[in-house]
Amino acid sequence: MKKTHIIGIIIIAIAIGALIATLGSTSTYADFTEAMANPDTEYHVVGKLDKAIPTEYNPGINPDEFVFHMVDNKGIEKKVVLHKNKPQDFERSEQIVLIGKMKGEEFHAHEILMKCPSKYNDTKNPVATN
Amino acid sequence: MNNESIQFIGEHILAGKAGNFFIVLSFVASFIAAVFYFFAHKNPLDASWLKMARLSFYAHSIGVFGIVGTLFYMLANHYYEYAYIWQHSSNIMPMRYIFSCFWEGQEGSFLLWTIWHVIIGNILIRTSKNYEAPVMMVVSLVQVFLASMLLGVVILGTKVGSNPFLLLREHPDFMNFPFVKSPTYLAKLDGRGLNPLLQNYWMTIHPPTLFLGFALTLVPFAYALAGAWKKDYSGWQKAALPWTFTGIAILGIGVLMGGAWAYEALSFGGFWAWDPVENASLVPWIVLVGAGHVMIVNKNKSGSLFTTYFLSVLSFILVLYSTFLTRSGILGDSSVHAFTDLGMEKQLLLYLLAFIFLAIVLIIKNKNSAFLYSVLTATLFLSVFAFNIFPSYLLITWGVLSLTAGVAAFVLYFPKDAAEEDLWSREFWLFIGTLVLFVSATTISIFTSIPIFNKLFGNKTAAYTIAQYNTWEIPFAIIILALIAVTQFFKYKKTDTALFWKNIRLSLLVSILFSGVCSSALYFFKAYTLAPEQQKANYITYSILLFVGVFAVFANATYWVKILKGKIKSAGASIAHIGFAMVMIGALVSTSKKNTLSHNSSKKSVEMLGKEYSNQKSILLTQGDTLPMGAYYVNYKGKVQEGINILFQVEYFKQLPDGKKVKEFDLFPRIQLNERMGNAFEPDTRHFIDNDIYTHVTYAESPENNRSSASGYSEPQNNVIHVGDTLFASNSFIILDSLTTNRDEYGKKDSTIVVTAVLKAYDIEKKIHKAYPKYILHKNQVNPEEAEIKELGLKFIFWKINPESGSVEINLSENKSNQKDFIVLEAYMFPYINILWMGCIIMFLGTLLAVWQRIKILKKSGE
Repeated sequence: MKKTHIIGIIIIAIAIGALIATLGSTSTYADFTEAMANPDTEYHVVGKLDKAIPTEYNPGINPDEFVFHMVDNKGIEKKVVLHKNKPQDFERSEQIVLIGKMKGEEFHAHEILMKCPSKYNDTKNPVATN
Repeated sequence: MNNESIQFIGEHILAGKAGNFFIVLSFVASFIAAVFYFFAHKNPLDASWLKMARLSFYAHSIGVFGIVGTLFYMLANHYYEYAYIWQHSSNIMPMRYIFSCFWEGQEGSFLLWTIWHVIIGNILIRTSKNYEAPVMMVVSLVQVFLASMLLGVVILGTKVGSNPFLLLREHPDFMNFPFVKSPTYLAKLDGRGLNPLLQNYWMTIHPPTLFLGFALTLVPFAYALAGAWKKDYSGWQKAALPWTFTGIAILGIGVLMGGAWAYEALSFGGFWAWDPVENASLVPWIVLVGAGHVMIVNKNKSGSLFTTYFLSVLSFILVLYSTFLTRSGILGDSSVHAFTDLGMEKQLLLYLLAFIFLAIVLIIKNKNSAFLYSVLTATLFLSVFAFNIFPSYLLITWGVLSLTAGVAAFVLYFPKDAAEEDLWSREFWLFIGTLVLFVSATTISIFTSIPIFNKLFGNKTAAYTIAQYNTWEIPFAIIILALIAVTQFFKYKKTDTALFWKNIRLSLLVSILFSGVCSSALYFFKAYTLAPEQQKANYITYSILLFVGVFAVFANATYWVKILKGKIKSAGASIAHIGFAMVMIGALVSTSKKNTLSHNSSKKSVEMLGKEYSNQKSILLTQGDTLPMGAYYVNYKGKVQEGINILFQVEYFKQLPDGKKVKEFDLFPRIQLNERMGNAFEPDTRHFIDNDIYTHVTYAESPENNRSSASGYSEPQNNVIHVGDTLFASNSFIILDSLTTNRDEYGKKDSTIVVTAVLKAYDIEKKIHKAYPKYILHKNQVNPEEAEIKELGLKFIFWKINPESGSVEINLSENKSNQKDFIVLEAYMFPYINILWMGCIIMFLGTLLAVWQRIKILKKSGE
């Protein structure tokens, strides 16, 4: 066996080992029920904004805290504390992905991804100019 | 619905017909070219096949240029009867964005790719000599597939391609709009226009560069397949080598341009976010770099023929794969800028599989096995097309089968070099470097493909974060940089160890000293003692990375000066390596020492939630307030609207020793009012030689809200005060001057007591305004009479008297228009980021220099 082969096998083996180790500890998509069962584990939770409950954002007190209520895909609703500024166009979002963990009855998120209505799928009529 | 009976006025039907003719021409001609090139290869003695094949490829080229020309003509003349023109351009849009409109949509970007292939194909016809037939057959075949992406016909119930010349009133998405039923609909029609996010110069230069880079990966791929077909496993590499390195230069600069775009115009807060779309173009580049380097090994010693074949093929396959990833909509949530789904993912996937199949079947030299593999593949494809089933187990089975076939072909048919490489040889370390590049590319691909794995295996793994990517890729970067530093000092076959150490020891010593000083300053003085445990481990990793980066720069400089005697002609590789090392150093320092300037004074700590949590990186700036931020003082001056942009003027001041503040510069972070995509924030950055100040508005009262709520009074605020006390409003301060009472009414029955408060309001210019709110007590009923200062938008209600404490209570409400505008801001300092940009340019120029040198050598040897 050649030296290059031996070194190659070693590098690939280390990489595979590390891969398996990290993939196991990677955060997963979950719903609020699962996040509540494991309060200190980080999850990605997908859901929708509950527009009936007003959101709270007081940049004068803390520009990095935004509170709202989200309903997950199973219909469970939780209060969410996002430790970031209020995202622009937040009310327009169709779907929200939160990254964070449960703490008591609140979900504390440090990151948020929003899906906004797509420009291609809108059925709005074009504006005709005169 | 009967459109035929309506006479639509003003449509230019002929242009679309011409466009469709060119599409059919390009598709048919590329197919014929592939067939003729096939026979030209089989019958090398009959020159007529080659002649016919060339003519067909020229016809294909005319077709492609025809499509592009027609589309540009339509864009320039605003032919909104065509869906593509209507979707991607508009009347008000400046003409300089016509290129951006052209490739904004999927069809246009496929065209851009196709046209680069056409240009490259025409050069190959002139330069590839005895390799022309097989190489051009592969190129033509690729063109057949790309041209079919524009066909827009339905075959066996499956839509093949998306046609850019479809009329708006016939486009499935828009044909039901009521307005397209009117015969005069065109008279008033304006296009939807280019997405404002893409209206900048990056959109003009980035896509063509990136697609040229993608297109260049076709050349080593085509040569590799041609070599396998001709059973000439090493001959093709000499011709493919300059092409490969041109691809490395162009694709590399294209990828980094994407980073620069993100940094300048998007709100990532950095230049690299490991976004799937970024990764999708980075991974083929890494593999192409590997392919190029083993080609260099093979020029001197043919030891890694299979590796070269494998990597050359893989780079192009990965380009197809990245097209599939970004165009199929499968990335969905995990990418900020994936293209939308045009329903072509099945077609894209089939192309990907078809070219993997081609690359494998060409190296199976046993006819029966090749036939068997072809039959199995065909079965899979037919089941997809005819029965419309696409189960993941079929895909996995085929994948395992292809892998087995590939490995078997390598073991059985590929020529192998039995000789052992010496540990002290250049080829050994080049090979190891290539292997590391390959493993690094594989890990990035796996992480990026997590959504695919989720779909195939039903997992729920979340996408990788930037930090996870960094943890993974930094060790690879360290090994690669170390190899870049030392490998040139090794000689092929065997190196004199004493000479090796003699040549390298100075740069090693200087690097240890220099990087030691730098990393102590950057990571180990104050920073280290303050850092939490986790961060300390990072600092050690960063210091190692900094050391190997500096070592790579010094060692390559030494090689250039000492071994190459400073000759610029042969220094391409050294210069490119210095550039790459600078990119890594710049990326390391600017990212690891990225300094958050904006802070808020929130006392609530969220650190206990975990290290990702922080609630202090934004600052609230109220109009007119000056706040300290980093080494500066900032002031939010106000906002102005320019077209679709609202610019927020943020002034930066420096404080002089005598306490005076002098203005240093203004930054204009902006918000783009974008009805279709949602309002988008764009940062603004001030560039200095040694650092960048990056400013980004993360929240502002949206302009619509502002206007609607600008009238009326806000909720009143109660104030308990004594005579002489002061009230504060946003635009003035108010002193309770005195209280007066109508004493003569005292003691009478049914008397009315009126207490009047005399308020003096001082505005910013110290002008005095007076108000007299009245406290009226009648029959034990309090009926206050409010007073207003109209100029200042203030309203007072004097509603309570507290005799025990001698205080009075006055409600103050302000007109909402008084409330000052505010923004929430994030600001960062990126130190030494210019090392990164300089490195990009140096790497690009160095690689091109090396290519030029290779072409010169190639021409000499050809004569």
